[in-house]
Amino acid sequence: MKEQRKVLPKGIGAADFDKAVRELRAIVGDEYVLIDDEKLAPYRKIMMPVPDEQHALSASVMPDGVEEIQRVMKVANKYRIPVYPVSTGKNLGYGSAAPVQRGQIVMDLRRMNRIIEVDAELCTALVEPGVTYQQLYDYLQEHKLPLWFSCPAPSAIAGPVGNMVDRGVGYTPYGEHFLFSCGMEVVLADGQVLRTGMGAMENSNTWQVFKWGYGPTLDGIFTQSNFGVVTKMGMWLMPAPPDFRPFCIQYPNETDITKIVEALRPLRIAMVIPNAVVIAHTLWEAPCKPVKRADYVTGPGAISDEAVKKIQADHDIGAWNVYAGLYGTKETNDANWKIIEAVAAGTGGKIITQEASKGSKALEYRFDLMKGKPNLGEFGLYNWRGGGGSIWFAPVSQAKGSETLKQMRMAKTILAKYGFDYVGEFIVGWRDMHHVIDLLYDRSNPEQMEKAYACYDELLHTFAKEGYGMYRANTAFAEKVAATYGPVKRDVEKRLKKALDPNNIIAPGRCGISL
Amino acid sequence: MWSRRVIGIAAACAALCGSGGVEAAAWRDGAHVYEKVCRYCHEAGVGPVIRGRNLPVEYVQRVVRFGNRAMPAFRPSEIDDASLADVARLISSGTPLAKE
Ligand SMILES: Cc1cc2nc3c(=O)[nH]c(=O)nc-3n(C[C@H](O)[C@H](O)[C@H](O)COP(=O)(O)OP(=O)(O)OC[C@H]3O[C@@H](n4cnc5c(N)ncnc54)[C@H](O)[C@@H]3O)c2cc1C
Repeated sequence: MKEQRKVLPKGIGAADFDKAVRELRAIVGDEYVLIDDEKLAPYRKIMMPVPDEQHALSASVMPDGVEEIQRVMKVANKYRIPVYPVSTGKNLGYGSAAPVQRGQIVMDLRRMNRIIEVDAELCTALVEPGVTYQQLYDYLQEHKLPLWFSCPAPSAIAGPVGNMVDRGVGYTPYGEHFLFSCGMEVVLADGQVLRTGMGAMENSNTWQVFKWGYGPTLDGIFTQSNFGVVTKMGMWLMPAPPDFRPFCIQYPNETDITKIVEALRPLRIAMVIPNAVVIAHTLWEAPCKPVKRADYVTGPGAISDEAVKKIQADHDIGAWNVYAGLYGTKETNDANWKIIEAVAAGTGGKIITQEASKGSKALEYRFDLMKGKPNLGEFGLYNWRGGGGSIWFAPVSQAKGSETLKQMRMAKTILAKYGFDYVGEFIVGWRDMHHVIDLLYDRSNPEQMEKAYACYDELLHTFAKEGYGMYRANTAFAEKVAATYGPVKRDVEKRLKKALDPNNIIAPGRCGISL
Repeated sequence: MWSRRVIGIAAACAALCGSGGVEAAAWRDGAHVYEKVCRYCHEAGVGPVIRGRNLPVEYVQRVVRFGNRAMPAFRPSEIDDASLADVARLISSGTPLAKE
């Protein structure tokens, strides 16, 4: 925790750094630039299996407003100091609020937390990067607006802008978050302010309703990238349906994933099930129940299949647990419910309704997430191993049963080789499934740190060989993951970087993009 | 019925959501922080119970800033020093805190 050596940006001398800090302080105010080790502690906490030092920041700057960000960019360009923007900075398991490379200054946008506009007729919102889902939820409640949004599991402390620019996911019908964003404001490295889509026009009132504008649509290049600092984002809200019917279907066998995906895909594509379905494995459910690992495993190594079976029996958990919901009127949901019942009966699944779920923490937090109600129930996952180590391994799969089973087996085998448990789920699933695996390890145990790193590395490369790519990755593996997508894409990204940020000052290295 | 309800609130919102002058959000006090952040884990069986255990104020503040194993660390931009001091005091003294 204590650091003797001062961290400086790569290639920057102490004198220049001090000058830059003075200039930053003149822009944002003394108290909004931190350089003291003790004060920087919250930015240094990571969950990835690499030393903290690797992602140690040199300073944090907390601008409030576009104009301050423009001026910060000037300083960064002048001294060639890289800045790493974070919004709510809760990218836990993907890098948290620590920069992608040692020495970068974190540009913390959490103070910019204004909900600029909510249009209840058009069901849209325009928000700043520091807004949390909890804040937006409270706003909608206070103003008695029956509008829902989709949020990720750490919803109470994370926010829509940070999540969307990393292309995160949630659990309502709007669960693919980038798809439901509409219009961005971006400060570029040279200080220019770009509004995407219709926002580029003076006096436009269609910024939050029409995504494309005229000419190339630029929004995508500001996600999972480092071409600008997003300072506003439009998002679509969903009218709260008159009738919401969440449910869980439990399946007894690991191989059932095949028929689950085959049965659900048509319902999802046809939007009978409109939301981002989750198919969660036993060990994702167990810690959230909560079940203690130590009650089922002694000694090193991954948990055995027998022990997993025993957990299922002891705690009434499926090998797979499907979460989905019906969103509509009573009449439409009654009709669609019959389809759900028939599918469950035909595939050997056991339905658990909302009424029957009462008292189960694992089910309740999921049902809340499916209506965009913030909570932190999923943090129960970290009680499984203990020790606070987590990296998400998240390859994309086709929504085909055989593919999901293949991926699950591949992942489980590699994890077991390093002594880790398969804690995974398949989510979103329109035509794809994000296969999200939480590689849980004890970060206070150096041997487990090393193994977790090696395990992720092997997972990544084995999956890539089969043609399976990551949907998103942590900062420690950004370069390696980017490499799996081939040289041409990377070259184009580099050319864009050169054009938009010739001094390489915005988050160099993020998603493998740098000059 | 669905659409009528939405039209009703639209009128209400037009007044609320006028352009300009939107204030940044801030914590009312420590209890507000507890209700919106801490309780989600510490009253839900995810993290340990922290209220009423005479945990020293400085200890609570430190854990919030440094994090602890899987507990995330919170930056001053998220929970300012004054609100943190207040919530730490409330937790330490075991004051009953508002639940949802
Ligand atoms: C238990 C648990 C469950 C989780 N479940 C989910 C889940 O269901 N879905 C999901 O998507 N994630 C999930 N996560 C991962 C993560 O916590 C969330 O995605 C979270 O929303 C990301 O943090 P944030 O929103 O604070 O974004 P930030 O940390 O602020 O930003 C994410 C990244 O985007 C970039 N960035 C941020 N803001 C800007 C900006 N304004 N301009 C340019 N670049 C920017 C930065 O590089 C940053 O690192 C989970 C994590 C945990 C611990």
